Amino acid sequence: MRPIALHGHERSITHIKYSRDGDLLFSSAKDSSPSVWYSINGERLGTYKGHGGAVWCIDVDWTTTKVITGSADNSLRLWDTETGTQLGKFDTRSAVRTCAFSYCGNRIMFSTDKQMGHACEIFFCDIRDSAQMGHNSSYLSIPVDGPKVTSAIWGPLDYYIIAGHENGTVCQWDSKSGQRLLNVEGHTKAVNDIQPYHDTTMFVTASKDTTAKLFDSDSLEHLKTYKTERPVNSASLSSLKHHVVLGGGQEAMDVTTTSTRIGKFDARFFHMVFEEEIGRVKGHFGPINSVTFHPDGKSYSSGGEDGYVRLHQFDPSYFEYEFEY
Amino acid sequence: MPELTSETPDTGTSWADQVEQEDEPDHTVLPQPTEVIKNGIKTITEYKMNDDDKLVKVVRTYKLETLKVHKAIAKRKLWAKFGDSKTDKPGPNPATTMVAEDVFLVLTSNKEDLNQQDDDPFKKLQNQKTIVQCRICKGDHWTLKCPYKDTLEPLQQQLKEEENAANSSGEGGSKPTNLNQTGGKYVAPGRREGASGRGEMMSSRNRDETATIRVTNLSEDTRESDLQELFRPFGPISRIYLAKDKITNQSKGFAFINFVRREDAAQAIKCVSGLGYDHLILNVEWARPSNT
Repeated sequence: MRPIALHGHERSITHIKYSRDGDLLFSSAKDSSPSVWYSINGERLGTYKGHGGAVWCIDVDWTTTKVITGSADNSLRLWDTETGTQLGKFDTRSAVRTCAFSYCGNRIMFSTDKQMGHACEIFFCDIRDSAQMGHNSSYLSIPVDGPKVTSAIWGPLDYYIIAGHENGTVCQWDSKSGQRLLNVEGHTKAVNDIQPYHDTTMFVTASKDTTAKLFDSDSLEHLKTYKTERPVNSASLSSLKHHVVLGGGQEAMDVTTTSTRIGKFDARFFHMVFEEEIGRVKGHFGPINSVTFHPDGKSYSSGGEDGYVRLHQFDPSYFEYEFEY
Repeated sequence: MPELTSETPDTGTSWADQVEQEDEPDHTVLPQPTEVIKNGIKTITEYKMNDDDKLVKVVRTYKLETLKVHKAIAKRKLWAKFGDSKTDKPGPNPATTMVAEDVFLVLTSNKEDLNQQDDDPFKKLQNQKTIVQCRICKGDHWTLKCPYKDTLEPLQQQLKEEENAANSSGEGGSKPTNLNQTGGKYVAPGRREGASGRGEMMSSRNRDETATIRVTNLSEDTRESDLQELFRPFGPISRIYLAKDKITNQSKGFAFINFVRREDAAQAIKCVSGLGYDHLILNVEWARPSNT
């Protein structure tokens, strides 16, 4: 397959996300302009201008009309997808690390870093209420006294959020009461990424402890483990086949001190059920920071420390392949 | 100098006109870019000046495809560009969107294949013959630590002296013939035995072509997956290149297969050459290096 390389960012990619229909791909990077691309031909639709620092996270609602971005300039911004105009801004006391739209598209969740003397906090907002976005008042905020939240998604039916923490624990936080519902020690090091299965009954976590794990959303029961030899920055589940794609590599700070072989930065495909590696794709010149399957499972994208986003359309042979067991 | 308008196709200008254009010292007005759509193929011809102030003609060919999509997606496709892309023309901007080199996803069920490719430099060193060689007994230890040092060395020296004496007495004044064998003289790495003559190049752009085979006389309907199926049994394959027509996407009848190991490639040549495939007889041989 011949990937399309998107070079709209000047610095390393932090997060990529497909819209629900998969026609648009949103990317955020350590430069201050998150971008949106047509996934079919790699054409850039636009950039969201306004942030003054690295953008750590980006999410889009199910109607693809609104986008939120969280940045290290201590703000979360709400944008109109079509025109790129800023609709709202929420100022925080430290950098915004994760952000996500609820399934209904009316509520948002975001978390801040433990930084500059401020504790990590999880915020919940209703974007329909202009008083909340305009006056930096969330309807619920949960102070997290402990390891900070490094990744988070909404759970099924918006009852709770699933958050991965810096020490490797995975928690459920109630989105109404702010209670911690469940807490499991899923990993031994920071959870870099969480992505749901297409029906949200399961989710996959990617951790610095060199593994990715599959959990049940409701009980946080550990189901499967995908082992590699280097930190995993991102993992995604296919909706079409029982495949998991893992992206990672040495940490950016270690790249110059270890072997320079490009092979360390492959995207690796695992069988979801049998936990066995089934293939690799080369391409990036640095660790992969974010990887995600297209909602239809027929293509996938990866964003790397090298500043490139690569769109891969699977060859026909991918669909013919059957795992032998 | 004829003005090109968007209606006239670029075939209208003869080469003589173009030469004339190049000769002109100040051609600030570049010919208008043309866009021709024919049989689902869009050809865009643009003119620009390069660094040497020469007129350059850029021809880009696109394949137009019509997809049926959901209404909402179609509507989004018509959105106006904004932000940094506001000034971009319709279609991908080559500054931000480019087509990368081919990559391969080979899905396998057995783990061994994947691990074999992960060649460890330390293992390679271990497999190599030992670097240290004793000058006295040719064993794999330093000359100083040779156990036969006391017994063999004086003997060898004696032999050498006798030989030299015989040489000089036999052919008076001629140079000693065993200059090569003494090994005392410095020989540049490039001229040493087993060297390819030229130094190794830093750039790894030219692939390792020692384990590449060329398959010719393939039928037009051959796909890469067919070749994969055909050559997979011989060993791990690192790359398959099937020459295809750009527009019709049909095979041009030949392909290159890069194996990871040369032995596998040799085996493949032995077995597949002369094999009847589709309705043709395959011809398989070693690929010649592309840069000679």
